[in-house]
Amino acid sequence: MERDEFLQIRGLCKSFHGTEVLKNITTSFVRNEVVSIIGPSGGGKSTFLRCLNLLETPTAGSVIFDGVDICAKKKDINLHRQKMGMVFQQFNLFNNVNVLHNLIDAPIRIKKTPRDQALEKAVGLLERVGMAERAESYPYELSGGQKQRVAIVRALMMDPEVMLFDEPTSALDPEMIGEVLDVMKNLAEEGMTMIVVTHEMRFAREVSSRTIFLDGGRIEEDKPSHELFDHPESPRLVSFLNKVL
Amino acid sequence: MQFFNDMALLFTRYNSFFTEGIRNTLIIAAFSVLIGTVLGTLMAMMRMSRILPLRLLATAYIEFIRGTPLMVQLMFIFYGLPMIGVTFPEISFIPDFSRFAAGIVAMSINSCAYVAEIIRSGIQAVDSGQMEAARSIGYSHWQAMAYVVLPQAVRNILPALGNEFVTMIKESSIVSVIGIADLMFRTRDVIAVTYRTMASLAIVALIYFCMTFLGGRLIAWMERRMSHGKG
Repeated sequence: MERDEFLQIRGLCKSFHGTEVLKNITTSFVRNEVVSIIGPSGGGKSTFLRCLNLLETPTAGSVIFDGVDICAKKKDINLHRQKMGMVFQQFNLFNNVNVLHNLIDAPIRIKKTPRDQALEKAVGLLERVGMAERAESYPYELSGGQKQRVAIVRALMMDPEVMLFDEPTSALDPEMIGEVLDVMKNLAEEGMTMIVVTHEMRFAREVSSRTIFLDGGRIEEDKPSHELFDHPESPRLVSFLNKVL
Repeated sequence: MQFFNDMALLFTRYNSFFTEGIRNTLIIAAFSVLIGTVLGTLMAMMRMSRILPLRLLATAYIEFIRGTPLMVQLMFIFYGLPMIGVTFPEISFIPDFSRFAAGIVAMSINSCAYVAEIIRSGIQAVDSGQMEAARSIGYSHWQAMAYVVLPQAVRNILPALGNEFVTMIKESSIVSVIGIADLMFRTRDVIAVTYRTMASLAIVALIYFCMTFLGGRLIAWMERRMSHGKG
């Protein structure tokens, strides 16, 4: 089978007020792979992820998604974002509506999904993440782990082709990290394409098929996860792994 | 004791003066806040616009209006505009329409600037993550505003808007200087007729206080109802 590089990043650069955060990043992602992005804080991991769905506008370079350069002007970015689910560190559930409406409103309004169909899907997904009985709860009534599981479902409601996770467990109390990682692990096993910025080295090593080490705005190393963790080459990666493992 | 008797006597005898004054004060405050809110919303949108000239214009307007006395603005509208040929028409069935119009226009222009700031800060107080999350699942900027940000901003905005109305009730006393028969103006009439300055002022202070206090309670009550069940 031909490698379907459905998401390609070419020469991506990003500066904030003259500070270069990403320096000429080129890589690509294939369907069904799970990629972890690790690296020290300030290395540009989150910025890289946020450039993929243009929450940050790249300074230079292009993001080619399903054969379309989504950085080009006049591209309907809203359409592309529907196919790229995103999960945030701070959950960002919509505070003004309950869990169910967090899930069904966007599909109904944007994709014109019939209401009963959206409801059925929402209930099914909530069940799978163990949140079925909290459908009527408001976000402030949920724990961090519960919020994050709902946030993952919210992204899944749009039937994304790829899921972007921006440090999904970093704002969680330690005892809640497991429940979120389990959901992500299940998702990976079902074949969802995932790009995960994470500090969870065990997740990177055991769940993701490939790991990218991003430091100083550059891809320092990009290899199958086991290889990267067992045989790190660049000295920066070696010293990073020594600190975190 | 004599003083309170004076107050009671004045209030009953000149009851019609005070009622007319209260009515006119409330009319002016209500219209000014209403118009000020509509214009203020537009001004807030300009203030947050991505188009630089609009943003600059709105910022300049807001800063200038907030940085000059309402009295001066009122005088500009009432005395200044006619000098350059802009006059408010008289309408036969509404007595004193041109004065009222000038008063309401000046107060609205003033209120607009404050309301714009209330709305802007109300919107910007909503966590930016809400907008990002909405954009990330495919909402357009305006959809995200309408469905996610504004419903949350309204809960910040409405109480402050209520306070603005209460402020307007007090501030509107200034229109008495251009001869609008508001509460303050009618009180001066009572003083002119009776020479009971202290008692009259005490009455009017009490009336203003009752209006603002009741207004404040009403707002607090609405605030509680709105936050019911929400975190």
